[in-house]
Amino acid sequence: MADDLNSTYEYPFPMPSEEEVAYSDGAIKGRTPGSPSAYDKGGSTRWTPDAIAEVQALAQLGRYQVRGYNCFNQRMPTFDDLTFVPATMTRLPLEGYRESCDMTTVLGAGTGLVERPLELKIPIYIASMSFGALSASAKAAIGYGASKAGTMTCTGEGGMLEDEREASQKLVYQLTPARYGVDLEHIRKADGLELVVGQGAKPGTGGLLLGMKVVERVSKMRSLPAGVDQRSTVRHPDFLGADDMAVKIEELRIATNYKVPILVKMGATRPRFDVAIAAKAGADIVVLDGAEGGTGASPELLLNHTGIPCLSAIRPARQALEDCGMSDKVSLVVSGGIRTGVDVAKCLALGADAVMIGTAAMIALGCNSPRYEKDYHALGTSPGACHHCHTGMCPVGIATQNKELEKRVNIAAGAERVYRFLTAIAMEVTMLAKACGKSSVHNLEVEDLRALSFEASAFTGVKMAGLDRAFTW
Amino acid sequence: MSEKVIQVGHRDIRIINQEFLEALEAGHSVVVTDTLSRHNLGVGLPRSGKIHFDGSVGYYCGGLNTGTDVRVENNAGWGTGEAMSGGIITVNGYSGMSTGAAMLGGLIHVKGDCGPRCGVAMKAGDIVVEGNLGYQAGFMAHRGRIIALGSAGPSCGDALWEAEVWVAGDIESLGVDAKIVEPEAEEVEGVDALLKQLGLEERFRDWRKIVSEQKLWYFESRDANSWLMI
Ligand code: SF4
Repeated sequence: MADDLNSTYEYPFPMPSEEEVAYSDGAIKGRTPGSPSAYDKGGSTRWTPDAIAEVQALAQLGRYQVRGYNCFNQRMPTFDDLTFVPATMTRLPLEGYRESCDMTTVLGAGTGLVERPLELKIPIYIASMSFGALSASAKAAIGYGASKAGTMTCTGEGGMLEDEREASQKLVYQLTPARYGVDLEHIRKADGLELVVGQGAKPGTGGLLLGMKVVERVSKMRSLPAGVDQRSTVRHPDFLGADDMAVKIEELRIATNYKVPILVKMGATRPRFDVAIAAKAGADIVVLDGAEGGTGASPELLLNHTGIPCLSAIRPARQALEDCGMSDKVSLVVSGGIRTGVDVAKCLALGADAVMIGTAAMIALGCNSPRYEKDYHALGTSPGACHHCHTGMCPVGIATQNKELEKRVNIAAGAERVYRFLTAIAMEVTMLAKACGKSSVHNLEVEDLRALSFEASAFTGVKMAGLDRAFTW
Repeated sequence: MSEKVIQVGHRDIRIINQEFLEALEAGHSVVVTDTLSRHNLGVGLPRSGKIHFDGSVGYYCGGLNTGTDVRVENNAGWGTGEAMSGGIITVNGYSGMSTGAAMLGGLIHVKGDCGPRCGVAMKAGDIVVEGNLGYQAGFMAHRGRIIALGSAGPSCGDALWEAEVWVAGDIESLGVDAKIVEPEAEEVEGVDALLKQLGLEERFRDWRKIVSEQKLWYFESRDANSWLMI
């Protein structure tokens, strides 16, 4: 086996039952009685209750753990480590409620090669989430909501659903290494083609969809036997390095007669180099997905311990484009843990042309909402803490292929919630931009920010609050 | 069907492909000269027609083909017929890495050898190779057949889904989760019929069919309930 130790060793005693291996004698059900301790809740910095639980789970399972959602690594810095410094005496603010602030966002026009660049009303669109990971109803609701907001969505790796194409006025079609269902017809129906070389949640690995979600319709679209664990390839089938990718990009341009932009999506690992390489290979748009990016299923260790945070990836990515003289030619889109308009505005100020939101859109749609509480409890979780997308038993019908659960997504209401959320966060962006004296959200700049921690300053090169200079080594 | 000759040389590849489409759509059969092993020749070809590359071609020749009959006189580079959904691609010489990658239908016939990862991630269709297969033939191939009259290199049939790799010659080694099975008589008949259709000599071949052992298929969900543990 590729990943299993597949041991043929035989114990000199009978193989224990699964119950015994699982400590079903009650040993882990409660604390062993004893005298009260100052460390009643534990005190070890290494062996926290979480670390102990993890070791015990691994000892029982004999393999890594898998879950959905996103990074739980508490050390991951957030955009909250930055604050805006609006116009005061050195700059003039715009009237927050009266003057206008342009949000129009055009992606992929810079190379001048593309007939139909992506023109969006707002600098925010919906990240790639596959049909398979998400239910068809959730995809449709998100598509309609995005369309009403004048923005776009992305198919994810599971192929293009007819319902999704209909719902999304603008739809980016993903070409992941697995290339599920990728053919000329779908390529020509897309408004953009995204070559995926990685994702923030699990860079360096391919997609994962557990057998519980590989139902008939999903299996058909992915040409897989129903019920298998879909572990997608990580390397593209027909190109390896950047030089080959340049040829691939040319192929896609020819296939679409240079009509739509080519996006290259990657997980944030070495953005200074990776972004430059993708730009040089001919991408119109580089999409950089930070380590906080969400996923339907991933080995937990990858979610928590791979990639670099979005916060730290944007400046080197922009710098990479500048270094190779492509800052005006190639658009930069970022994603990963972006929650509100405040985070969006910070991304724009750090150098992004647009952002993608995935988990936030799902939450707007109803993920982790306080309904169907019993079903959350059956999963061993509760509203607000759910991360069980991998099980296919999503209590709100979003991350599932179970027909009964899917009915819980009200497409119309869900679309409206997504639309309102997009509207609200776009307003938040303009509010901050106007406070900083900008008549376009794309005029937000690094100077509009200050760092609240040395770490954030070191990561981003943003000046430290109060010191007015960036932390340098 | 009248013939139209299109010269490649160092001309703009976009314009050349446009000329192919226009000529095929006008009902001409196309002969392409001075190919210079250029990449991306004949991408996204239509549902019918004939195109003959009189020389060698680079990467992705016949990529995303939907039904055109493509003939390459000499050798072809990487990704020949990638993601094609119909038509026939014949390569008289050798074909490079990832021949028929992610193809969804149609037939690729290579008269020489094929490079590594032939039929990688293919979803349907057939690839017939008269020569040998490079390493990892059929890597993660979903469905369809790869049929080699020669030998197969290392890691043949690595991580297959439901696709089959048929090898008449030697197999250097099997890939992860692959096994050799005896093909059923009617399956052999099907393969023989296809070879006959391609004008290949009818004779007894000692076929080995490589399929998935299916141990990786359920690797993550061996015990679905355990996923609730986290
Ligand atoms: S509520 Fe559904 S979509 Fe949200 S985390 Fe839970 S399973 Fe995933």
